[in-house]
Amino acid sequence: MSVPGATRSLTIAAKPAPLSAVTEFVRKGALEASLPEARIGELDLLIDELLMNVSIHAYPDDMPGDVTVTYSVPAPGELSVELADQGVEFNPLKTEPPDLTLSLQDRPIGGLGIHLVKTIATSLSYRREQGWNRLTFGISAGS
Amino acid sequence: MPSPQNDKSSLSIETTHVSDRVVLVVSGRMDAENAPEFEEKCKACIAAGHTVVVADLSGLTYVSSMGLRSFLSVAKTLQSKGGALRLCSMKGLVKQVFEITGLLQVLSVYESVESAVL
Repeated sequence: MSVPGATRSLTIAAKPAPLSAVTEFVRKGALEASLPEARIGELDLLIDELLMNVSIHAYPDDMPGDVTVTYSVPAPGELSVELADQGVEFNPLKTEPPDLTLSLQDRPIGGLGIHLVKTIATSLSYRREQGWNRLTFGISAGS
Repeated sequence: MPSPQNDKSSLSIETTHVSDRVVLVVSGRMDAENAPEFEEKCKACIAAGHTVVVADLSGLTYVSSMGLRSFLSVAKTLQSKGGALRLCSMKGLVKQVFEITGLLQVLSVYESVESAVL
């Protein structure tokens, strides 16, 4: 069982996007929060999309850098995760939402990741702080 | 709690034929690391003369936006040739992701392989 309010962090190279390592790490938080099975896939997806975001936008081209992933369990059934990087300032929450009404021919093939994150996360916030991008999301047992 | 399964080998794509249609049986997880494999398989089908490709997604348990890019890219290519990418039997998180992104409305989606190959 986790201590309420305790946090755990993992710092790892952001490129190539370290999906397996971070997913494995954050799933420990899911276990501590007793998230149900249905939420685990969604948690994987949130991590996947946000790590890709850091890899592509915070550290563009060949720019190296780390991402620090921190999770906490603020209450039973709730998991809070922060992804922090010292890359280029980028607020993914300010990106234009995709136009889901366009036909197949007119639809761009990208731009769906952040839309997925905004829809699935229970809470989502971004702040730029002393050179850090800090993106925090919450996911709960009932979300 | 299942163990993490997002290594490259976790996607498998088997090419079969049902009623003269080519059917790709896609299983496992599709993300940035392995989505290109699906595109490559589809390109091979197109090169072999198929303009309709059926993808059986009954065994697909996970798809990220990078996987969606592959589905969209292939669907556009096939549409431009007068054909279509027909997706069938999606469920769970995969169906949820297609719903959230509005792709159920723009892609050809079927309940079963049997209906998709008609």
